[in-house]
Amino acid sequence: MTMLSPYRVLDLTTERGLLCGQMLGDLGADVIKVEPRGGSPARMIPPFVDDRPDPDRSLYWWAYNRNKRSITLDLERSEGGELFKRIVERADFLIESFDPGYLARIGLGYHVLAAINPRLIEVSITAFGQDGPKANYADADLIIMAAGGPMILTGDDDRPPVRVSVPQAYLHAATDAAIAALAAHHERVTSGLGQQIDVAAIQSVAMATQSNVLAAPLGAQEARRMSGGVKVGPLHVPLVWPTRDGYVALTFLFGSALGVFSKKLMEYLCERGFCDEATRDKDWIGFGENLASGKEPLSEFHRANEIVRSFTKSHTKTELLKLAVERGILVTPLTTVEDVVQSEQLASRGYWQNVQHNELKRTIRYPGPFAKFSATPVEYRLRPPLVGEHNQEIFSRELGLSADRLASLKRAGII
Amino acid sequence: MAQRRPLEGIKILDFMWVMAGPASTRILADYGAEVVRIESPTRIDTARTLSPYKDNTLGPDSSGLFNNCNAGKLGLVLDLKSPRAKEVISDLVRWADVVTESFSPRAMRGFGLDYDVLRAIKPDIVMLSSCLMGQTGPLAGIAGFGNMAAAISGFHNLTGWPDRPPAGPFGAYTDYVSPRFAAVAILAALDHRRRTGEGQYIDLSQAESSLHFLGPALLDYTVNGRCDERAGNTDPRFAPHGVYPAAGEDQWVAIVCRDDREFASLCDTMSRDELASDHRFARAAERLNHRAELDELVAAWTRTLAPEVVEKTLQARAVAAHRVQNSSEILADRQFQYRKHFVELEHPTLSHFTVEGPRALLSRTPAEARRSAPTLGQDNAYVLEKILGYSEQRIIDLVVAGLFG
Repeated sequence: MTMLSPYRVLDLTTERGLLCGQMLGDLGADVIKVEPRGGSPARMIPPFVDDRPDPDRSLYWWAYNRNKRSITLDLERSEGGELFKRIVERADFLIESFDPGYLARIGLGYHVLAAINPRLIEVSITAFGQDGPKANYADADLIIMAAGGPMILTGDDDRPPVRVSVPQAYLHAATDAAIAALAAHHERVTSGLGQQIDVAAIQSVAMATQSNVLAAPLGAQEARRMSGGVKVGPLHVPLVWPTRDGYVALTFLFGSALGVFSKKLMEYLCERGFCDEATRDKDWIGFGENLASGKEPLSEFHRANEIVRSFTKSHTKTELLKLAVERGILVTPLTTVEDVVQSEQLASRGYWQNVQHNELKRTIRYPGPFAKFSATPVEYRLRPPLVGEHNQEIFSRELGLSADRLASLKRAGII
Repeated sequence: MAQRRPLEGIKILDFMWVMAGPASTRILADYGAEVVRIESPTRIDTARTLSPYKDNTLGPDSSGLFNNCNAGKLGLVLDLKSPRAKEVISDLVRWADVVTESFSPRAMRGFGLDYDVLRAIKPDIVMLSSCLMGQTGPLAGIAGFGNMAAAISGFHNLTGWPDRPPAGPFGAYTDYVSPRFAAVAILAALDHRRRTGEGQYIDLSQAESSLHFLGPALLDYTVNGRCDERAGNTDPRFAPHGVYPAAGEDQWVAIVCRDDREFASLCDTMSRDELASDHRFARAAERLNHRAELDELVAAWTRTLAPEVVEKTLQARAVAAHRVQNSSEILADRQFQYRKHFVELEHPTLSHFTVEGPRALLSRTPAEARRSAPTLGQDNAYVLEKILGYSEQRIIDLVVAGLFG
C-alpha cells in the first residue's frame, strides 16, 4: 500500500499546476488528468522527443505527468459537464489552474461541485490569485518572477535582471498547492468537509528571495543583484568563483555561524601557501562587523577575496569538491545538466528511474523520487499518459457507460 | 476565539536549523501544527546571523530570515551533548508525531537520536531527515547551504547570459524548493500512519527533490542527449519575452507576448502597428528568429516610460507585463496587499516583527502565523511544565545539570 492510495485526484491543470498532481500521484493517489479534446495545451511545450512536436512526445509534459491517468472531456458542453459531475462525486481532490472564474462561468464552480460532493477539496493555482486588483492580469513564468521578487536579485548588474532559464514560478506554486491540499485533507478526516484553496504564484516565488522580500517592511537594506553573488551596501559578495575548468559555489562569509567556515578555509589556504599567518589569524567571525565599523578597511575584504580567488582559480572543480568531502570546506562545483545526469552521488543512491514507454519502444530515464520513504517508497507506476489513454477504462469500466454511449459521446466530440 | 486551523493536534519535534529545514516546519506551523524547535545554547543557528536585519541592526533576534522561517514555533534551548538531554528528548519524542532534523548525516547518531533509537521510544514515529545530498553516497558528508546544492544540481549553470559566466539564481535556491517537498512528505506519511498505524523514516536530499524543478532539462538530456544551457530571458516558444529598461535607475519591466494577437496589441500600444504585419515579426516562429531586433524595438519604447505605466497599459490590453519589483515595490503592490502577504506580529524583544504570511488561502480553515519566531529559550518553561508536565524540582535539577547551557 502506498501513502495516498485511497484517494482520487482530478487534475484539470495546465502548465500552471501540473507538478501538484504528480506529487500526489507519486505518493500513491489515483490521479486522473482531465484534458480537453486533443489533449492539454501543455503537451505542446518543448522540448520534444527527437525534436518532433507531438502531444505524446513533450518532455515538459513527461516531467510533470507520471503516475496519472488521462481522459479527454469537453467541459464546456453540457453533456461533458454532466459527466464531469459524476466523476466529481467520487473524487477527493480537484486541482485546477484556469483563469479565475472560468469554472464558475461554465457551470462547474466550487459551489456547484461542493453541492454534489461536500468532501471535495478544490485547489486553484493561478499567477495572482482568485481575486484582487491584479487577479485577471495576463501571466507567464517571467511575469511572476518579475512581480514576486526573485528576478530583481538575479543576474549581472550591467544587464537586465534574469530568470532561471527553466521555468520555475508555477513549480513553486504547485508544491505550495500540494501542501495545502494535504493540510485540508487532514482536517477533513475529522470534519468530513472539503474546502477551497487559492494559491497565487507571485506569493510562492516571494519565498525564493531568501527573505529579502522582507527588507522594506523591516527597514533593512535591500540586496542588489551581482552576477554570481550579491551586493549588500558597499560589499560585493561573490558566491560563485572561477576554477581552472569552470566555476564553483563557495561560501566565504563572516559572523558567528559562517565565520567558522571562513576560518577553516583560511587555515587551509595558509597551509597551502596562499596567504600568510597574519591573514589566517584575522577574526573571521567578527570580520563583517569590523568592515561595517571601519576597523577593517574595505580593501582588506577585497584582498581576502583575491586570495580565495587565486586559490580556486588554480584548482579544478573535482579537486575542490574533494576538499568539501575531506576538509569540510563549503564548496561545490557548478555542474551542467550532463554532469548531473552522470553524477556518482545520484547513481550511488539509485536516484534515476527507468520508465518503459512501450508506445515508443524506449526506456526513459527519469529523475527519481523526491524523497526516500522507508515504509512506503515512491513508485513510478504509470508513465505519463497518452492523450485520452484511459477513456475506455474510466468511462466504461469505472463509470459504467455503455459502449454505445461512449461511441456516441466520441462522435459528438464530447470525449 | 481564534479559528481552528487544519493541522491542529499534530505535534512536531524539530531539530532543524538554518533555512531549508525550518522553512518546511514553518509551513506546517502556519497550518496549526504545534512545533517545538530545539536550539543549541552554544552553537547559534546560522539563520539568526543572516540578513535582512530588522532596522539594519544585527542581533540574535533581528534576522528577517530566521523570523520568516520560524514564526509560530515554540523554542526550547537545550544542550544535546548534555548527559541528561536524552531523558527530556525521549519525553518529547513520546509527545511528538513527527521528528525532523537537518544536520549533516550521522549527527543524530552522534547525539544518540537516530531513527532506530527514536523508533524504540515511539514505534509509530515519523522521522524526516533533510540534508544537502541525502543520507548516503560519496557526497553525503558535505556540509553546506542551498547555494551549494543548487550549484551542484545545475541551477547556476542554467541562470544568466550565454555570453557571460553563470549568474546563478539568488542565494540558497534549493532552500526555497526542498522545504515544500519535505512538508508534503511529512503530511503523506502522517496520513499513512493514521490509516495503518505505521510510522517511517524519510531521507530527503535537498538536491534530489529540487531536481524536479529542472525535470524537462534533465529529460532533454536523457532522451535527446542535449545539454541545455542558460539562455538569458529568452524562451523557446515566445518572443518578445524579455525584461526591458524603463525610466529611472535600475527600473525594468518584463513583457511576454504569448501569441500573435498579443503581439499585435503590443505593437498597437507602442503606436507601431506596422510591426505586426512586418514579415520578420508577424508570426511567432519569425519573431523567434528576429528576437534581438524585436527586443531593441520594444526597449526603445519602454525606456522613456515608468515601469508601472508599461505594466498597466499592456495589461489593459491583456498583454502579459509586470514591472520587476524589489521589496519596497512589493510592499506597495496592491495585489500583495490584497492577499495580506506581509504580516506584522508582536515580538518579545523587538516590539513587533514582519514576516511573510501563509502562502495558500483556505476558505474554511485558513492558515495563520500566530506568533513571532522564538527568542533563545523563550518557551523553555512552557515546554517543560505544560507539555512535559515536569515538576519544579525536576526542572531545577535539569538546570543544575547544565542541560540548558
